[in-house]
Amino acid sequence: MNDKLLYLLFFLMPYCGWAQTREMTANEQARFQASLQQLVEIKTVSADFVQYKHLSFMKKPVESSGKLYVKHPDKLSWAYTTPFQYKMVFKDNKIYIDDQGKKQTINIGNNKQFEKISTLVSSSLRGGKYDEKEFAVSYLKQGNANMVRLTPKLAGAKKYIKEIVLLFSPMDKHIEEVKLVEPSNDYTRFVIKNRKVNTTIDESIFNL
Amino acid sequence: MNRFLTYSFFLLLFFASCGAYRYPNASGIRESATQELNNYYIDTAQTFVYRAKLHVFKKDMNGNLIVKTLTRNEHRVALVSDFGQTLFDVSLSPDGYELHYAMHDLNKRRVVREIVDIFRTMTTQRHATSAVMFANQQHYYPVYVVDNSYYVLKERRVERIQQTKGTKEHLAIIYREWNPEDIPTSIAIEHKKFPITINLTLDPGQSTL
Repeated sequence: MNDKLLYLLFFLMPYCGWAQTREMTANEQARFQASLQQLVEIKTVSADFVQYKHLSFMKKPVESSGKLYVKHPDKLSWAYTTPFQYKMVFKDNKIYIDDQGKKQTINIGNNKQFEKISTLVSSSLRGGKYDEKEFAVSYLKQGNANMVRLTPKLAGAKKYIKEIVLLFSPMDKHIEEVKLVEPSNDYTRFVIKNRKVNTTIDESIFNL
Repeated sequence: MNRFLTYSFFLLLFFASCGAYRYPNASGIRESATQELNNYYIDTAQTFVYRAKLHVFKKDMNGNLIVKTLTRNEHRVALVSDFGQTLFDVSLSPDGYELHYAMHDLNKRRVVREIVDIFRTMTTQRHATSAVMFANQQHYYPVYVVDNSYYVLKERRVERIQQTKGTKEHLAIIYREWNPEDIPTSIAIEHKKFPITINLTLDPGQSTL
């Protein structure tokens, strides 16, 4: 009898406990979208981020970190602080760059991937909706956490991005991770930490 | 007839020497004992992550260059932008390559071939049996020759690789600084035909050394 119980437990193990990814039910999706509505009140966000670049042939990811600031309606500051100093500010439909003191304004065309992620980060941090003309949207559950998978529809974006996965905290429903998967299946994870909402952000953060 | 053959011989010699690169201040090429060159990337336990600053056709770009030694003579090289985008990912061997990925703008045969050439030159171990002769040998560092490349040694380390095509210098790889384990920590790559320079600084925190 004990042997039979052991075999049963062994074969059931894959279905217990570990976080499986599955599609949300209609009710779950409605609750999730309702939870996003609360985030619309957010006017500012400040947070730390850690970026992990995973390459298939590397055992450990290439890591960098920094700070991000979002100010409604259209300002985003994304600054790398380690292992290099590099800051980008999106505002007034332009990108301003400070590369260790060297300043320039560059075309969004050179940073298609980052333009998409910055729009998504800004939008998601504030509970924004996803453009279904640009993305096929899937609503998923990973354990207790809500997850949104965006698959580009447009040929231009598909050259650079295979899919974008947004992971929301099961505790406070805010976005806590963005995963960008490239056509090669290499991927970059942006993990957001120490998030503060609706605090005052000095305008100088967005001036370079 | 003899005069014709003599003139033809010297004309041939003249044109042949016109088509070959002449190393500065060289008086000729001599045979040498086999010299192992460029042992920087032969340890399969190592992965090198360099901070890369590129200046390519008047555009500046920063990122990380990753070099992983697969076998003594095979390397996987990838360039990743600061934002995490893979620009190219290629496996190199002495006689060929396998392109795993190149972003759309780089995925053109000529561009890929140049990328392969640059990083194969930078990472491949070579064995030389020829060296450059200088009239005044004591004033010059040893320079070994393998095919169309000249390897300048200083303190028994490869300090510079000069690759030539026809009569001109085509590519220079300059190893500028090393750590106490003789691992290059600062490298400059200068393409002589296209306006491309790449400066690499080793990130020991992200490398596996």
